[in-house]
Amino acid sequence: MKNKYMFGGAIIVIFLALMVYLFTQTNIQYESNFASIKHKSKTFKATGSWVREKNFEIDKAHKTFSFYMKDEKGDEMKVVYAGTMPNNFESVTSVVVTGKYINGTFHASDVLTKCPSKYEGQPAIESSM
Amino acid sequence: MVGSIILTLALIASVVSVIMYFLTFRGQSNTLNIARISYHAMSVLVIVGATLFLHAILTHQFQYNYIYNYSGKGLPAGLLISTFYAGQEGSFFLWTLFTVIVGIILQQYTSKRGDLEPRVMAVFGLASTFLLTMISPLLKNPFAYIWAEPNFISALNINSAYLNMPFLQSFLFSDNSTGQNFIKMSPELYAALNSSGISIANFIVQGKGLNPLLQNFWMQIHPPMLFVGFAMATVPFAFAIAALMKNDYREWVKQSLPWVLSGTMVLGFAIMLGGYWAYGVLGWGGYWGWDPVENSSLVPWIIGVASVHTLLVQKKSLAKAGNDGIGEFAKTNLILCILTYVLVLYSTFLTRSGILGDASVHSFTDPGYTVYLFLLIFIGTFILLGIGMLVFRWKHLSFETEQYKNALNRELALFTGAVALIASAVIVLVGTSAPIFGQSVEIKFYNELTLPIAIIIGLLNGFSLLLKWKYTNGKDILKKSYFSIAGSVVLTLLLIAFAGVHELMMIIFALSASFALFVNIEVAYKIIRGNRLMLGAYVAHIGIALFMIGVIGNSGFSDQLNLELTKGEPKEAFGYVLTFKGYEPFDNGQKYKFNIEVKKGSSADVVAPVMFFSEYNNGLMREPDIMSEITKDFYVSPVSYDDGTQQTASSNGGSQVALSKGESTQFGDAKISFEEFNFPKDAMNTMMGGGDFQIGAVLKVEYAGGSKTIEPSMKSVKGAKQFIPAELKEADLKVELSNLDASGKVNLVLSKLNGEQVQSAPGSSKEILAIEASLKPFINFIWFGVLITAAGFIVSAIRRSKESLA
Repeated sequence: MKNKYMFGGAIIVIFLALMVYLFTQTNIQYESNFASIKHKSKTFKATGSWVREKNFEIDKAHKTFSFYMKDEKGDEMKVVYAGTMPNNFESVTSVVVTGKYINGTFHASDVLTKCPSKYEGQPAIESSM
Repeated sequence: MVGSIILTLALIASVVSVIMYFLTFRGQSNTLNIARISYHAMSVLVIVGATLFLHAILTHQFQYNYIYNYSGKGLPAGLLISTFYAGQEGSFFLWTLFTVIVGIILQQYTSKRGDLEPRVMAVFGLASTFLLTMISPLLKNPFAYIWAEPNFISALNINSAYLNMPFLQSFLFSDNSTGQNFIKMSPELYAALNSSGISIANFIVQGKGLNPLLQNFWMQIHPPMLFVGFAMATVPFAFAIAALMKNDYREWVKQSLPWVLSGTMVLGFAIMLGGYWAYGVLGWGGYWGWDPVENSSLVPWIIGVASVHTLLVQKKSLAKAGNDGIGEFAKTNLILCILTYVLVLYSTFLTRSGILGDASVHSFTDPGYTVYLFLLIFIGTFILLGIGMLVFRWKHLSFETEQYKNALNRELALFTGAVALIASAVIVLVGTSAPIFGQSVEIKFYNELTLPIAIIIGLLNGFSLLLKWKYTNGKDILKKSYFSIAGSVVLTLLLIAFAGVHELMMIIFALSASFALFVNIEVAYKIIRGNRLMLGAYVAHIGIALFMIGVIGNSGFSDQLNLELTKGEPKEAFGYVLTFKGYEPFDNGQKYKFNIEVKKGSSADVVAPVMFFSEYNNGLMREPDIMSEITKDFYVSPVSYDDGTQQTASSNGGSQVALSKGESTQFGDAKISFEEFNFPKDAMNTMMGGGDFQIGAVLKVEYAGGSKTIEPSMKSVKGAKQFIPAELKEADLKVELSNLDASGKVNLVLSKLNGEQVQSAPGSSKEILAIEASLKPFINFIWFGVLITAAGFIVSAIRRSKESLA
C-alpha cells in the first residue's frame, strides 16, 4: 500500500510545484490604475472605460482596432488591438484589455467588453436626469 | 402573486420534509409518511410554479420584471421557451425544478433499498431547500413584479396610445446622449395606472427580448442539460453524507455508482455541448477556450470522473470474500463525492456572484449583496456539513490496507489515475479562482500543465486494463500489449507524418492516447460477444482516447489566415479556392449571409458566415460557418464587409470619408488628397490648457483644369467645437471637417456647392468581404469522442444500476 502514497504523492508534489512555477510565470495582474501600467513593461489586464468622445478607429491596412481608454482617475491611454472590433463595442461601458504599454500606446492582445446596462435592464441614465 | 405564494409554500413544504426525514432517521416511527407527503407536495408546487412561469412567458406577461427583461414578442417557440433560463432568477428556477424532479426519482430509488431513504432524502432535501430559498420572494424571485423596484423601461416598449397621457409625463425621462426616452416604472406609476384603469398588460407591449448571442439552437439544450447535471451532482453528496450518518460504508458504494455515472455523463455532455456552441456559433474558433464559466463546471466533472474510478476499487474490495471492513478508498470516495457537489456550488458562486466580472466573456451581473451572502452561506453550509461529518466519523474510516505483492495491480493504477485527475482539477480550479485575488493566468498555464497530466491519464487508461486486480505478473503485461504497442506506434507515426504533430510532448501524448485507444479496442473486441453491458467502460475509454487524438491533431495544423475577398475574384487559402459571391438577407432581412464558394479540385461547396446588426447589443454580430470534412473543418469567420462605395451618406446630405495623411479620395471629377494638419505652434499648448485654438486640414484638390489647396478647419472656442468649411468653385466642391480622429485621420464631409451629393466613381465600387479562415484538423474526432464516451457512460450506468439491487 506504500505504492499508493508513492505514486499519488509524486503526482501531487510534481504538479503542485509545476503549478506554482507556471502560475508565477503566466500570472497577469488586473490593474485599474493606468499610471502604474505606464511605468512597467509588464503584461497587464487593464480595466477601465472607453473614452467615447474620442471615438475608435479601424485600420484596415494594419488590421488593427484602436481606441482610448481611461481609468477611474481619468488617466487616459491609447489602446491598439491587433484584431477586429469586438461585436458590441459601441454599447460598451467598461473594457478589460490584456497587453503591454510600449512607447505611448497599450498594445492589446485581447479586448473584453462589458455592457452591463444592456444585460441588467437598468439603463444608466441617472446621470442625465 | 400566485407564483410567489406557490414558491413560498414549496419552500415551507421542503423544510417540513427535511425535518421529518431527519426525525425518521433518528428513530421516529410516525414521521416517514409526513416526510414523503411534504416532499411530494413540494415537488408538485415547484412543477406547478414552473408551469405557471412558462405560461407567463408564452403569453408575454411583462408585468413580471424577469419576463420583461429577458423575453419578448416575436421569438420562435423554442427560443421563447428558452427565455425561461436566460437570466439569473430563471436559471436558478430551472436548477431547482430539475433538482426536485431528480429528487422524485431518488425517493423511488432509495425507498426500495433498505433504510436509505430518510438519510439520503434529508440531505437531498436540504439542497432543494437552499435552492427554493434562492428563488423565494426574499431573494431572486422570478415572479417579482416590474414595479416592485424603480425600473427604467424604454418608451419604445410602451403602448404608444398612453404615452401622451398627462399623468405619465412626470415618469418620463430622456437620455440626452442617445435621445432615447424611458418610463420610470415604480409603485407610484403602478398606482397611477391602476387608478386610470390601465392594465400593465396593455401598458407594456414588448419586452427587451433575448440576447442575440443566445438566439440559436444550442441555447435550447445546453443550459437545461447543464442544470440536469448540476441537479444530479447532488445525489452522490447525499449518498456520502447518508453513509456517514449511519456510519456504514458498505452499501452506499454500489447504490451511488449508477447515479455518479449518469450524473457525470450528463454534466460532461452538457459541458461539451457548450463547447460546440462556442465553436460553431459564437465563433470562439476552438473546442475549449479555458473560459471561467467552462472551467468552473469542468472541475466538478473531473472530480466526478475520479470518484467513478475509486468507487470501483472500493466496490471490488468489498466484494472480496471474508471482507467485512469498509473497503479500500472509503475516505477518498466520501471526500470526492462530497467535493463534486461543493464544486458545483462553488462554480455557481464564481459565475453568479459577480466576482469574476472582469474575467470572462460571459456576462455576469452583480446580483446584489444579499444574494452574494446567501451563495456564501449555501456553499459554507455544505462544506461544513461535509467536513464536519468526515471529522466526526474519521476514526471509523481507517482501513487495514492490504499488502500487494508489487505495484502492478489495477487498484493502484485506478488510484493513480484518480490522483492525476484530481491534480488537473486543482490546476483548473486555481487558474479559474485567481481573479478573486486580482490575478489571472494565461491560457498557457492550463495548456502546459494539463498536457503532462493528459499523457499520464492516457497511459493509465490503457495500462490499467492490462493489469489484473490485486496482482499481475510483469511478463504477462508485455505479452498482452504487443498489439497495442505496435498499433500506437503506427498511429503516432501517421499523426507525425500527416497531421503536423512535431513537438516532443505532443508526440508522447500521441503515443499515450493511441495506446489507450488500442488497448480498449482489443478488450472491447474480446468481450463484444459476451455480456454487452460489460462494454461500458471500454467504450467510454475509447471515446476519451479519440477525444485526445482529436486534441493532438487539432494542435498540429491550426493555421489561420486573414483574407479580403473581392466579389467575384477567386482567392486561394489552404488549398481551397474561395470566391465571394455576394450576400443575401434572411430571417426577414434582419441578418445577412455572405456566400463564399469554396472549391477544391472539382468539388464545390458554399460556406455562408453571417453578420447582422443587433439593436439589443447595439453592435455588429458575427457568426462563423464551417465546412466539415472527416479529418478537418474549414472554419470561416466574417470580419467586415465593405460595399465599396467608401463614402457613406451623412446627416447633412454630403458624403463622408475618412482619410489618413497621404490618402486620397475621388469626389465627382475631383481627386482630394489629405496632405497634413495645419497646426499652429502654440495650438498644442492651448489645447492642453483648455484654451481656444484652431486646427486646419490641408487638402490638395486636383480637378479638370488644375489643382488647388484648400483648408477646412476646426475651431475650439471655450471648449465648444466649430467647424469652418472650405469651398472650391472650380471643382464645385464644399469640404467640411466632421471630426478629427485621435489617430491622425480626418473625417471629411464632401458635397457639391448646391448641397448635392455625388456617387463615387463606379470603377472604385468593389464589394469586399474580410474573413478569417482557418483549418481545424481532427476537430470532429473531439466531438465524436464525446459522443462515444457518453454512450459508454450510459451502458455503465445501466450495468451498475442493475448491480445496485443485488
